[in-house]
Amino acid sequence: MLNIENLHLSFGGIKALQGINFEAREGEITGVIGPNGAGKTSLFNVISGFYAPGQGRVSFGGRDITTMSPDKRAALGVARTFQNIALFRGMTVLDNIKLGGHTRLQTNVWQALRYFGAAQREELELRREIEERVIDFLEIDHIRKFPITMLPYGLQKRVELGRALAMRPKVLLLDEPVAGMNREETADMARFILDVQEQFGTTILLVEHDMHMVMDICSHIVVLNFGQQIASGTPAEVSKDPAVIEAYLGAAA
Amino acid sequence: MGQFVQFAINGVMAGAIYALIAVGIVSVYKATKVVNFAHGYLIMFGAYFYFTFSVIIPNQPWAPEWLLSWQPDWLVAQKADLPMFSPMGAVLDWVSNLPRIVLGLTGALIANAIVGRIIERVLMRPLMGQSVFAMIMVTVGLISIMSGTASLIWTADAANVPFLSPSAPVKFEAFGTTIFLLGTDLVNMVLALLMFAAIVAFVKFTKGGIAIRATAEDQSTAYSMGISVPKVFSRAWVLASTTGAIAGAILATRNGISPSLGLFGFSVLAIVLMGGLDSYVGVLIAAMTVGVLEAMTQWKLGGSWAEIVPYVAVLIVLIWRPHGLMGQKEVERI
Amino acid sequence: MINANLKNSYAADERVLNNTYKQMFVYGMMIVLALFTFFANDYMILIASQMGILLIAVVGINILTGYTGLVSLGHGAFVAIGAYSVTIFANLAEGIIPAGVMPFFAMPFAVALAALIGVLVGLPSLRVKGLYLAVATLAANFIVIFLIEEDLFQPWTGGMVGLTTHAPNFFGWVLDTKREMFGMIAVIGFLALLAAQNLIRTRIGRAFIAIRDRDYSAEILGISLLRYKLTSFALSAAYCGLAGALLAYFFARILPEQFELTLSLNLVAALIIGGMGRSMGPVFGVIIVVLVPELIKVLFSSAVGGSASAAQFRAPLQEIAFGLLLVLFLLKEPLGINQIVDRILRAANRWPFARG
Ligand SMILES: Nc1ncnc2c1ncn2[C@@H]1O[C@H](COP(=O)(O)OP(=O)(O)O)[C@@H](O)[C@H]1O
Ligand SMILES: [Mg+2]
Repeated sequence: MLNIENLHLSFGGIKALQGINFEAREGEITGVIGPNGAGKTSLFNVISGFYAPGQGRVSFGGRDITTMSPDKRAALGVARTFQNIALFRGMTVLDNIKLGGHTRLQTNVWQALRYFGAAQREELELRREIEERVIDFLEIDHIRKFPITMLPYGLQKRVELGRALAMRPKVLLLDEPVAGMNREETADMARFILDVQEQFGTTILLVEHDMHMVMDICSHIVVLNFGQQIASGTPAEVSKDPAVIEAYLGAAA
Repeated sequence: MGQFVQFAINGVMAGAIYALIAVGIVSVYKATKVVNFAHGYLIMFGAYFYFTFSVIIPNQPWAPEWLLSWQPDWLVAQKADLPMFSPMGAVLDWVSNLPRIVLGLTGALIANAIVGRIIERVLMRPLMGQSVFAMIMVTVGLISIMSGTASLIWTADAANVPFLSPSAPVKFEAFGTTIFLLGTDLVNMVLALLMFAAIVAFVKFTKGGIAIRATAEDQSTAYSMGISVPKVFSRAWVLASTTGAIAGAILATRNGISPSLGLFGFSVLAIVLMGGLDSYVGVLIAAMTVGVLEAMTQWKLGGSWAEIVPYVAVLIVLIWRPHGLMGQKEVERI
Repeated sequence: MINANLKNSYAADERVLNNTYKQMFVYGMMIVLALFTFFANDYMILIASQMGILLIAVVGINILTGYTGLVSLGHGAFVAIGAYSVTIFANLAEGIIPAGVMPFFAMPFAVALAALIGVLVGLPSLRVKGLYLAVATLAANFIVIFLIEEDLFQPWTGGMVGLTTHAPNFFGWVLDTKREMFGMIAVIGFLALLAAQNLIRTRIGRAFIAIRDRDYSAEILGISLLRYKLTSFALSAAYCGLAGALLAYFFARILPEQFELTLSLNLVAALIIGGMGRSMGPVFGVIIVVLVPELIKVLFSSAVGGSASAAQFRAPLQEIAFGLLLVLFLLKEPLGINQIVDRILRAANRWPFARG
């Protein structure tokens, strides 16, 4: 589904990614782990089109998207959440989620200025879909009219997931979705991620530090360290890999 | 060719003054991240203060006579046997004016420094930590306040102000034609460039300058290093308003005194962005380029087209290099 | 918000006037405006017309700066383009297009031209942000005014002496009084405000706000920065062009100096004072920006009488008041009058259950 081939990226002297190779298989959850500064977020930024790789290829559904602009990738069905929540703080929860539907809507400027007619029909249709597919699904009906700034951290993360879901994504990149959450919130989020995979068949790429969660829900794991891919395989294979143990013990020590 | 050189030299002389004005905008930006849209009005205040201290005050009935025109015996004796329009005569006239020039410059420097400090203290400091947009818009509001205040205070018709240096013409042969310059323009240019260099040296090498640069790099780090950020802010504003006072005095002698002096600031703002906002070298290059381009435009298309040269130039440069000639692009972290 | 806010369908929830207070307010305003048109005295008509014209332009600035987060200090140029092109178009098309339908061609032409040039001026916004854009638009303003004044174009623009605009003629009905003109401004202004409000609650408006709040996050949702920034520029320029066309009709005489930097700064100041990115912000802002100088004028003439020497202080005082007002709002209430009004309304809505 999503293929990463020999990806290299550097910032001046820093080599953030050095020869990454893996596939996120259709309908599965692929985990990307590694210590801080390993290059996980940079990898996501390359996949979503913010950073141009120095070398290598990103392809999606067989199509080379390495040089495509971020908004075009989104239209193809690549959605993501950010490590530091990137919601629109000037809007309500509902409007944030509605933005997820942007590329599917057709309303042009003229129709928008008039509103009545095409624009209104489309807006109501979007509202209905979001209510059913996102707001009910993520159990956030009680906060739909709240401004983002009034929500606690955990709920903001959930709304960001909701915004991505409203895109009806084919592949969903989640950058540390449970970072900073307590046990209960983490369990909720893990359940939502599994539900997304099951109900919508979405391909998921997950960056996470919470090892329990990664081992539990991922079918395949890629391990990065200092920009290098040091291992990949099933959770069982990866957790026995000496290089991985070394990297994690080294980081912990 | 001769014409070309003549206009090129005119352009460089104008460019040096642009650079002197620009230094004020760059310094305030470096220290505070505020781009002062009202800098032209600080210049205008400088010009009006110079006018006040070199023309209005010496003309008061209570002012001593030597202040308006210093005529010691030796000077009168020297003057008596000179032909009209001789270079020496221009120098002697300048000497007669010297007391009021000195008073004018000192007065303008001090008064403008006070204005700069008041602006920083009353308007800019309460905004520390606010959005860049809010700070810019405060300087936009400042434009109206300063321009209105100036027309309230200086209602008298503006008269000529004394040149800062002897205005003797300088002629020399080059490229087969005679190049003609005014001595005072040459001195202005040298003065402007020297001040420019002095400020760059100050920011590069002195302790106060290093504090400014550290603050520019990262305000909270500067704080934790024991740098008093508010002090840096007010120092930058005083620096801007004093260089502005000199630039204002020079402009007053070149272009005369009028409220439209404030508009000058906008062309310089364009130059500053062309140069790259926080790069002194880039801004110097941009100032010289615009000065010369303006002179060339004046030569080929006429004076009115020269007005828009800085604006056309900044648009072209920004489309070609969005962060100016020497500005640095920051990679946004996501 | 305890009362008047219960919904039983998504359609009801998605309406602009989504509670009875807003509905009452808007319908009330329509009635007041209609009565005003017939019964206000000439002086009030003059002031209200100025407000209406300025309002349309500030609504445009609100789209660009308030919602999309792009700063322009040069939108006076688009007002100029609207004013000049409506006049020049009518002059050139005289005899070709019948007088009775001229405004139906001249006004759309003026608006379209302003929008087109808006796209051109907006081009730097793709590569530069914030401050750079402010200076780029400021530069564009100087250039446009310069070209209008320039000898080369003087046969069309009238150069420094300006142009005379004929009163608009709608199928033989010539709007030759200021009162009739105000009627037109009120109707167009109301529709313009409503259209902007519509725009903001559809995908296009949401895309604008997304770009303002976090541009990379907007991109990840499939919003093309190129397309939407330019759309925002075009729309805001179109609003300013429309304001310019009405201004030319209303004053019948246009001069290049009316559209200089002062106007551009006024537009942004009005928006800040009223409330950026809020639908009623431009309304509040324009009322203040037009009324305060007028108030100073009235107070001043009652204080000093007709003394000519004192009269020269009036303009500077107006200027200072304007600057102080802008600075005070930025320092004390950066969200503008809209925020103050919201606070009052919220308190009133809760009363007597709670205070504050
Ligand atoms: N925009 C950038 N500019 C410079 N260096 C960057 C940038 N983004 C990331 N880096 C560097 O790349 C490396 C990898 O960072 P990142 O991808 O954020 O790691 P992770 O998400 O695995 O913690 C780090 O050394 C980081 O400092
Ligand atoms: Mg990361």
